[in-house]
Amino acid sequence: MELLEQLLKCIEFGKVNKNAPYPPDMKGQDGAEELTQIALSNGISPQEILQNALIPGMERVGVKFRENKIFVPQVLMSAKAMHASMSFLKPYFSSGEVKRKGTFVIGTVAGDLHDIGKNLVSMIIEGNGWEVIDLGVDVKTDKFVDAIEKNPGCIVGLSALLTTTMPNMESTVRKIKELYPNTIVLVGGAPVNDDFRAKIGADFYSPDPQGAVDYLNKLVA
Amino acid sequence: MSSKELLFEALKVGKTSRTPWVPFVGCHAGSLIGVSASEYLKSEENIINGLNEAIRRYKPDGIPVVFDLQIEAEALGCQLAWADDNPPAVISHPLSEGVSLSDLKIPDKNSGRIPIVLQATKKICKQYPDIAFYGLVTGPFTLALHLLGTDIFMQMLENPDYINDLMNFTGEVAKTMADYYIDAGCDVIALVDPMTSQIDPLSFQQFVTPQATRIFEHIRSKNKFSSFFVCGNAQQNIEAMCDCRPDNISIDENIPLDYVKSIALSKGVSFGGNMRLTLVLLMGTPEDAQREALECIELGGDTGYILSPGCDLPMHTPPENLEAVAQIVYDEYQRSVIKTLKEKPSNIETYDFKDYGKGDKVIVDVITLDSESCAPCQYMVEAVKKVTPYFEGLVEWREHTIKKMEGVSFMSSLMIRNIPTICIDGKIAFVSKIPPQNELIAAIQKRINEKFKQKIYSSHAEITLIHTEKDNIDEWKKVIEKAMIETGKFLKVNTTTDNQMFQKFMVTKTPAIIITKHTLKAEGELPSVEVIKEWLKTI
Repeated sequence: MELLEQLLKCIEFGKVNKNAPYPPDMKGQDGAEELTQIALSNGISPQEILQNALIPGMERVGVKFRENKIFVPQVLMSAKAMHASMSFLKPYFSSGEVKRKGTFVIGTVAGDLHDIGKNLVSMIIEGNGWEVIDLGVDVKTDKFVDAIEKNPGCIVGLSALLTTTMPNMESTVRKIKELYPNTIVLVGGAPVNDDFRAKIGADFYSPDPQGAVDYLNKLVA
Repeated sequence: MSSKELLFEALKVGKTSRTPWVPFVGCHAGSLIGVSASEYLKSEENIINGLNEAIRRYKPDGIPVVFDLQIEAEALGCQLAWADDNPPAVISHPLSEGVSLSDLKIPDKNSGRIPIVLQATKKICKQYPDIAFYGLVTGPFTLALHLLGTDIFMQMLENPDYINDLMNFTGEVAKTMADYYIDAGCDVIALVDPMTSQIDPLSFQQFVTPQATRIFEHIRSKNKFSSFFVCGNAQQNIEAMCDCRPDNISIDENIPLDYVKSIALSKGVSFGGNMRLTLVLLMGTPEDAQREALECIELGGDTGYILSPGCDLPMHTPPENLEAVAQIVYDEYQRSVIKTLKEKPSNIETYDFKDYGKGDKVIVDVITLDSESCAPCQYMVEAVKKVTPYFEGLVEWREHTIKKMEGVSFMSSLMIRNIPTICIDGKIAFVSKIPPQNELIAAIQKRINEKFKQKIYSSHAEITLIHTEKDNIDEWKKVIEKAMIETGKFLKVNTTTDNQMFQKFMVTKTPAIIITKHTLKAEGELPSVEVIKEWLKTI
């Protein structure tokens, strides 16, 4: 399917629409916006678009980011292209025609205002077919708990960038596990490592977003 | 050679007699004087007091005046969220909130907290002419990110001309700040641009290189040294950073030191950093910190390497960990001890020392690196050797060198952490410092007295023969008497027909022999629960 192959490339390289100047070597070509519309009008199902273009496209982005082949700006451009395409698929999500893999609730823990890492994780997971609920930065435990209550079965991701907010990550994890022992909690951020993850009773740590995607996908496989 | 000169030598990629040490003390100094990060970073007086304390305790060759990458951003109108135990965070980005780039003016010396920092710089530089003070300038990319927000990442690709204009402005701010710090007395200007770790080498060269290069050129024209700091994994950009021609680059634990070394030295740039902040300096022990420092010193080598943490020290880094680093920076001998211990295999056999030192003689053990090759060890061994004749055979001494497996096992069995150490009957008595003769004699004498006392008290035991009126106990008495003669242990023998004694010892048949022993276990000093538990187990 050449059209989806082309759309996948737009996601991988961050080509948002025809007028977008980036990437320079795709100047003047159709971008994610145009190609998604064409695909839909050609009768390709939204599920197929998600499955065969968006998800594999963002997968490539996640892998290249993990391998230090691309960096934050390139990931953000890909995410922008992914979102452009996704905006045409949104109606099918609410109608139930397109199924997502599950719900992922994410936020930076209380006292911590960093959002770059959290946003990258959020976008890469969303691009892999998950519904992402982003609670933002400086998220208190109660807010996480509310989100879990409203989204039964969701998986939770916590981010911390400061050594001083790591204790807040711990108290949030403990509270979640106390109230919802079956809720799976992922943790990440520069000062966090797997020892710390084990110590605070979270389920998974990954140093990069793609690791989180791989873990989530295994859960629903 | 003063501290400062030594550091300059390293910055010139020269060979140094020892590794220069530059602890990146920022708001951590606030914890040294008991004030919060915000109280610290807003007060000239606190900054000076904090630096005084850091200099006294950590003996640095160079040190930043202030480590706060929000000073310029604040002066340019970014709002800050202050915290007690972290530098402030930027929470508003004027360029994404309606302010245009042309509205922004280069901050003057009186904007925001700049005057506080410059005053502190002037005073502290005057106070310590032999220490190199680093003026820390927010790097152009990090400042641009503060001003525009994370939008900058996409705009770099979608609107590169605008980002170039923005970088020109932030580069100019950095150059001006460098001048302010140089005028105030700083010897080294560090351009701190951690956010560049998030971009690729091409973007780095396109947006950061032109600014950084002209700033370093400017600093050089003023005959001052420059350093390029980056925290985070910026491995992809190390080469590009060196190509901006700073005198030094400083990196964090994410980037292997040997990798940085090979690139920096090949480009004639000195290099530093890399000590692990969180895992080792913040959460580790002083011994961990020393091992880490030694590893960096060995890897960094003696040409152009500056020992530093990877980035701004966390507020609550234990000061003991940094003092321990300072100790080995200045003490070659401590370095060789740690090195020797590090090379030992991990499967060390430990001995059971429960009964060590219970013999008649007092045993003095000296744990050394090797008394033949290491002077402090040699003096310690000699000190012990000299006093033993004084005790006429009551005292026996031994040396355990940690160059042999036996010595390492001995050391870890007794939980000894420093070399050289003197133990008396298996208890640590003197650590590192060589005791004066009279102190050593007194310590040994004290132990002899203890043992003597124990002996006396151990004879505080008695034998009780419990019997009834109709028992014939003469035979029993004779046997006991004989045993006492044969062992040389003479105890008092009581006889009793007291009914209460029958019950107390649950005697069902008579006659019965009871031995009661009174042992002095603790005197004056409260033993731990663990110790008392051990005593109870033997009952």
